[in-house]
Amino acid sequence: MTDHPNTQSDSHVHDQPWRTWATIAVIGILAFGVLLGAIVIPVVQGRGAGLDAYTAICRALGILPGSPARQQVPDRSPPTPVSQVVWTPEVLQILADAKPERGRAKVLEVCSSCHGEQGVSAAPEFPHLAGQSGAAIYKQLHDYKTGSRTNEQMTNVVKDLDDSVVADVAAYYAAQPKRNLRLSTLAESPKSIVQLVELGDPSRSIPPCAACHRPGSGGPIETPILSEQGNDYIILQLKNYASGERRNDVYGRMRVIAAKLTEDEIKGLAAYYRAGFH
Amino acid sequence: MRNVDKLCLAHFWVAFGAFLIASVLGTWQMWVRSPLGANVGTPGQYFMSVTAHGVAMAYVLTTFFIMGFGYFVATTSLKRPLPGVPWAWFAYWMAVAGVVVVLVPIGMGQATVLFTFYPPLTASPWFYIGLVMVVVASWIWCGLMFIAMWEWKRANPGKPVPLAMFGTVANALMWLWTTVGVAAELLFQVIPAAFGFVQTIDVGLARTLFSWTLHAIVYFWLIPAYIAFYTIVPRAAGGRLYSDTMGRVTFILFLLYSLPVGMHHLLMDPEHGNGMKFIQVLLTAFVAIPTLLTIFTISASLEIAGRLRGGRGLFGWIAALPWERPTVLATGLAFVMLGFGGFGGLINMGYGMNAMVHNTSWVTAHFHLIFGGSVVIMYFAIAYEVWPRLTGRDHLSLGALRLQLWLWFVGMVVMTFPWHWLGLQGQWRRVANFNYADPIIASWGPFVIVSFGGGLVLLASALLFVRNLYVLHRGPSADVSRPLYALAVHPPRRVPAALNGFGLWNALVVVLMLFAYGYPIAQFVIAPSPAAIVHRVR
Repeated sequence: MTDHPNTQSDSHVHDQPWRTWATIAVIGILAFGVLLGAIVIPVVQGRGAGLDAYTAICRALGILPGSPARQQVPDRSPPTPVSQVVWTPEVLQILADAKPERGRAKVLEVCSSCHGEQGVSAAPEFPHLAGQSGAAIYKQLHDYKTGSRTNEQMTNVVKDLDDSVVADVAAYYAAQPKRNLRLSTLAESPKSIVQLVELGDPSRSIPPCAACHRPGSGGPIETPILSEQGNDYIILQLKNYASGERRNDVYGRMRVIAAKLTEDEIKGLAAYYRAGFH
Repeated sequence: MRNVDKLCLAHFWVAFGAFLIASVLGTWQMWVRSPLGANVGTPGQYFMSVTAHGVAMAYVLTTFFIMGFGYFVATTSLKRPLPGVPWAWFAYWMAVAGVVVVLVPIGMGQATVLFTFYPPLTASPWFYIGLVMVVVASWIWCGLMFIAMWEWKRANPGKPVPLAMFGTVANALMWLWTTVGVAAELLFQVIPAAFGFVQTIDVGLARTLFSWTLHAIVYFWLIPAYIAFYTIVPRAAGGRLYSDTMGRVTFILFLLYSLPVGMHHLLMDPEHGNGMKFIQVLLTAFVAIPTLLTIFTISASLEIAGRLRGGRGLFGWIAALPWERPTVLATGLAFVMLGFGGFGGLINMGYGMNAMVHNTSWVTAHFHLIFGGSVVIMYFAIAYEVWPRLTGRDHLSLGALRLQLWLWFVGMVVMTFPWHWLGLQGQWRRVANFNYADPIIASWGPFVIVSFGGGLVLLASALLFVRNLYVLHRGPSADVSRPLYALAVHPPRRVPAALNGFGLWNALVVVLMLFAYGYPIAQFVIAPSPAAIVHRVR
């Protein structure tokens, strides 16, 4: 192939129609899409739904909420929350700012006589708090404070505490050393109970406990870690959930699950969560 | 062996090593989801496995393969030394380090979020940081591809850039555009959230940024297959490429229309208006055009080859094609899978039909058929063509190669066809197990088992593939100087500048992206939506 000195200009001249027509085609297709999708279709659909053209176009573009093809259905169902705790960025910031050292003073003042200075309880009916999730402790204390959960002792202790103090106490216990899973004792639990924990029972629509209650699992953040809990405490809580006496679980998750468990399963699960840790 | 050959082989071996491990994991997943493997493993283990499978197949296999193939194309099609070889090695080791950084948290059970980045569920920050390292390494590769084409054009003014290189650079440019979305999502949203610097995350914005990436990334994986269709297959079949221009237009259309279309993955999401979704779906429809152009051009090229070999009549040329050659066979099988997969894709693209298959197994089956099927079978074909040229050794017999390709095709069809059907029955995806005690779900059982059978065949094919390459490495040296790239029927002497570079097209991408993603992203700044609580690995 011979190189003409005017190769560059040749290809430039040759290039002009490509440049023009490609631009026209690509922009034309785009303009067609915008005209049809953002103007014609919403206006026609909106007419059927009794919407004016402006509203319909704004909805199609996402500037106003709702569909251009339908009237927006008003949502008037009043909320009846089982807990007053809402995980707003502000609340999460309170938790993030909490200081264990500040919480320690309050713990020594009121909590430690039952829950222990390091979160190891004095009696099996009180939950251990060492290494518990801070969000879980905060939620329960806050629920006692607002009356979403009731317990004579706890309600009295918490009712005058400030949210930030509650968060400090939660942070203190959360920072105490966690006890580790002891695999050798896990094997002592009956297979049916281990299955319930690991896989649930799909035939009764019972999800696995571990799906939420194991550290690192995907449950809601207020889910407590169920390690090394006293036998009696877990039995009592599962029974209270089953009977509906305790009702501060969002969406009734635990009430639904606990009501399906048999007496033996409740005992077995409590033993599992006590035996599995040291 | 030359340094650059070692470079290519190093990339390919990482790619196919990851592929082999991921094949084993994939088969295990098919098993535990079937009635045969019910109650095997915990959901946590399942999601760990799916995450590893997805990362290995979608990020490691593809990125390393494409980088290696890019270096190969740059040196062989331009017939010039690769610029910046030390940089290429640096990128290689950076990507390898990235893969290690990704694999550790997966192995420790701290990354079970699959290979998609949909917060508020987050994994260990190292999972994301490792992936960012792989992406940054691939950007270096993009830079080297641009420089290689640039230098060639400077040395050859007015001459058309060889089509294989043109396609590779189109892909590199598209990749740079594509990764902007996910890079922004990871760097500004997900990684700070995973580290705990922020407590909440705007899920709508994260999904929108990921949609910027997640469709075009599929075309990034696909384009090497198309480069093979245009530049390798016609020669392998003994013919010529029907039209060089068609190839250039195809790669340009991929660059234009794979980017402003990702919102079709968000059709069921509430954060965008119907009109914006309509615009992106319309643009999505135009992605079908380069594929149709390719089917036409490659069929025409194969017809030329078939008739040169004595094929007569309307279909006689098909029978006359040299099907015993692995590349030709792979192309035929890829086209069949591309046909079915493309049909499924049209269903996903339509707003109404998408609502029916949304989040069902249909979607999983679709991308396994089109990516795992059509694209990966062409990766095999490319590997079989390229390997002898890199190692200076030749395949002793082609029988095992053909068997491997057939197994892959049969396995993929047997696996994905029932899987599509299950999606239509409403089988959901992204779940660890099914309750086969439920009568409706029990009726899915047989299909899931057949599908698992397909998975076993695929595993056999994956093992055979690696064995074939291993045997080649052990074989005697041979002369493999035969040409690789096809000539066009009318080899281009000069092409319009618009078909020889990307300036114009890059400008048009800017316009399309501004319209497609401008307001949909800006709205999160103008009127922030309620943020979600970050879920972190504890």
